[in-house]
Amino acid sequence: MSIQKKGEISIKGLPGSEGIAIGKVLVLDQKKKKVQPRKIKSEFLQNHLNRYAKAKQQFLKELEELTTNLDNETAGILETQKHIVSDIEIEQRINAAIKNESYSVDYSIYKIFNEFIERLMESGSELFQQRIIDIENIRDRLIALSCENEKILEVEKGAILIVKEISPTDLVSYHEKGVAGLIMDKGGVTSHAAIIAHSLNIPCLVSTKVAVQSASLSKQAIVNATNGELILNPSKETLTVFRKKLRKIQRSKAALRISKKASETRDGIPFHLRANIEFPQELSIAKQFGAEGIGLLRTEALLYGGVAKKSESEQDIFYEQILLNSSGQVTIRLFDVGGDKLNAHTPDEANPFLGWRGIRMLLDEKEMLISQIRAILKVAGKFPGRIKILVPMISVFEEIVEVKKVITQVKKSLISEGSKVDESVEIGIMIEVPSVALLAKHFAKEVDFFSIGTNDLTQYTLAVDRGNEQISALYQQHHPSVWQLIKLTKEAADENEIDLSVCGELAGDTLGASCLIGMGINDLSMSPTSIARVKETLINQSSAELKKLSEQILACKTNSEVQNFYKSWK
Amino acid sequence: MIKKKVTILNSSGLHARPSAALVKLASKFKSDFYIHMYGYRVNGKSILGVMTLAAEQGAELVFEVDGSDEKEALESILELVENKFGMINE
Repeated sequence: MSIQKKGEISIKGLPGSEGIAIGKVLVLDQKKKKVQPRKIKSEFLQNHLNRYAKAKQQFLKELEELTTNLDNETAGILETQKHIVSDIEIEQRINAAIKNESYSVDYSIYKIFNEFIERLMESGSELFQQRIIDIENIRDRLIALSCENEKILEVEKGAILIVKEISPTDLVSYHEKGVAGLIMDKGGVTSHAAIIAHSLNIPCLVSTKVAVQSASLSKQAIVNATNGELILNPSKETLTVFRKKLRKIQRSKAALRISKKASETRDGIPFHLRANIEFPQELSIAKQFGAEGIGLLRTEALLYGGVAKKSESEQDIFYEQILLNSSGQVTIRLFDVGGDKLNAHTPDEANPFLGWRGIRMLLDEKEMLISQIRAILKVAGKFPGRIKILVPMISVFEEIVEVKKVITQVKKSLISEGSKVDESVEIGIMIEVPSVALLAKHFAKEVDFFSIGTNDLTQYTLAVDRGNEQISALYQQHHPSVWQLIKLTKEAADENEIDLSVCGELAGDTLGASCLIGMGINDLSMSPTSIARVKETLINQSSAELKKLSEQILACKTNSEVQNFYKSWK
Repeated sequence: MIKKKVTILNSSGLHARPSAALVKLASKFKSDFYIHMYGYRVNGKSILGVMTLAAEQGAELVFEVDGSDEKEALESILELVENKFGMINE
């Protein structure tokens, strides 16, 4: 125990069940009622025999109720407890102690259990010694049940229960009343209370030794079971730190819960939420949040660090790693950078976002384009049907015709080299320049899919530089003009029966995603951490409600009208 | 009545869960089942009795089975001991 900031007390313990809890302190300093040898009159014998039988039944019932919904390990431990409660040797001897020696039921239970406990203690075996606390708990629970049901204290929701020790059944009762964390002075990490705490998913520390005596005057506590620490009377600063941590944990728990639900609107219309990623390290997060594949794999990182062109084999490794560690489709976007990333000698441009970037640069730097397409096609041959190629920054029709020509040539040369090639790799374009959205009906006949990049589309439509703070209020990604271009794109995709997805920030915000789904665009890709929030919004809406929202938004004149509609709709 | 000498094979001995498995099996038979070890004699259908033996790996026990189904009972119990009480993570 150590005192840190003003009044803050820190006590170390062993983590019995991980997690963090913040709550009011509830100290349970039950002075164990000493069981005294007590003889009873013969007319009460039957009554005491019945009370024992009833207590046993009640205890078994409690254990039975606990066993449902537990993992095998915990269920196995409770199974052992049940055997101990219904042990025939114990039963015979307790009944004999009542009948033949006229001992009261509580003392009979106490005496007989202790005979076994003493023998276990004598055995000197470490492993068995650990079980003694459990057997004592069973003994005390039986005594309590045979006398009178133990009173469970009233609990404030979220309270941290601090005890010397506690029986599994009492712990479950307290948990039902709202206890959110457990501190136990005695016991080890494998004690039954700790295991039950784990299966109830409440943070628990054991072996804290002095928590009960230290906490008697404390009001609030933080259990940081992950670090094996109990903090009594936490300071404001400490509380802020832990509230933040707790929110983070809760968010990821909620995300996990949502990721298990089906991706469909309330009335069962399916949609797909995919992840935008740049590094293989992001795949586990994407998976955790339930992403259905990678809707946008950025490849620019391959170019950073002053290397103008990563070798084809380095690229192979990168793509292969992504494919190996993900499932479902992976849409790879070709290098989408400005000339400044290519080499330091490129002259500065006055308007780089209107300049030499994306496919404009790649078509001038053919060697770089070819090496990337070669690497992608080779990996696609190993993972047929999973890779799609996405071409960025197309602004005029001729560009896509030329890119396709290059891809066909690379395919041919790979085949002649004997490489395995996925013949049907789909080729699509980013819709991010208004000229392409306006002529989408022509582009749709030339490509396999569209992916709307709403960030650039917004900046090019509204003529707003995203990075210019002075005009940042004009960067309105929900602006009606952007929605009109999306609508045009959607109509062209439908008419030509090609796939359409949205991979900009619009897809990752709840308004944007709701309206897109309402328009019938059911394939959205976003930052992995947005998936849970978007999914939660979408699964709680019906397709009719979403459609109505999108119709209203498409009729808007200004961004503030859009925002108001959304507010009233929510 | 039949008696049989056995050695405990599993590494952590007759701790709580193997004892539970043993008691559970023995209780299915009508025959009485006792275990002798170093002069102690305990009821093999009592988990606390079995646990108080604190039999560790290598402990030598004598099983005593007495009753109408004693042969079957002993056979099943021996099989359990040989299978290390079904403890997978030994």
